[in-house]
Amino acid sequence: MSNSMDFFTAMEVSASGLSAERTRMNIAAGNLANAQTTQTAAGGPYKRRDVILSAVAAPGAQGTEFAQQVKGVAVSQITQDAAPPRLEYDPGHPQANAQGYVAYPNINPVEEMVDMITASRAYEAGITTMTTAVNMAERALGIGR
Amino acid sequence: MNVSSIPGIPGIAPIKAPEPIAAPAAAPGKVDLAGSFASALDDAHAAEHTATHAAEQFAHGDPSMGIHEVVIASEKANISLRFATTLKNKALEAYRELMNTQV
Repeated sequence: MSNSMDFFTAMEVSASGLSAERTRMNIAAGNLANAQTTQTAAGGPYKRRDVILSAVAAPGAQGTEFAQQVKGVAVSQITQDAAPPRLEYDPGHPQANAQGYVAYPNINPVEEMVDMITASRAYEAGITTMTTAVNMAERALGIGR
Repeated sequence: MNVSSIPGIPGIAPIKAPEPIAAPAAAPGKVDLAGSFASALDDAHAAEHTATHAAEQFAHGDPSMGIHEVVIASEKANISLRFATTLKNKALEAYRELMNTQV
């Protein structure tokens, strides 16, 4: 598509934000689902995942130097929390260590809930941006009518 | 009087200062409403194709295709088509205006 549709840039940027928040939501869901996982393919308990976001050039925003300052967002990496696992004394558990402790994931459900609320609010904000951009385009189409 | 051109939205050809009436019809750099309409229609077609493709991918369960991407693609197609329609209406309006000229 030619870049004659510059008002799509705001939509592209909001869309990148929505994708990033969707990833954040998925990661929070995975963290919550694995809050009690004591066994993983890599060995040891599940480790809390976190999303690292980075600014990237907005798709379709080439051209003037101002347009190049418009940045979208992308998930640059998903990190594993290095915090130590939570140890619980349960000698009968198959994954218990020599001292009878079981290593549970370093996940705090409250923290994940807060992350989820943040992602949800950011998603709403992205949708509002998108709606505003669409409204502006529609108003532009109505000029002179 | 020469009207200076409006800087305009990048990509959309800026509005040109009025040409002298004696200028040849195929003057270079002249804004061609029919041409803009054709390219807008092409854009609308491409956007519509992208939207259909996105909806198909989503229906097939492609994990890279989120709900919002499908909705955004169809919204883009909608706006592109309305842009093309607006250009068409303007061109038609101009044509009618000329046809109604009293001689």
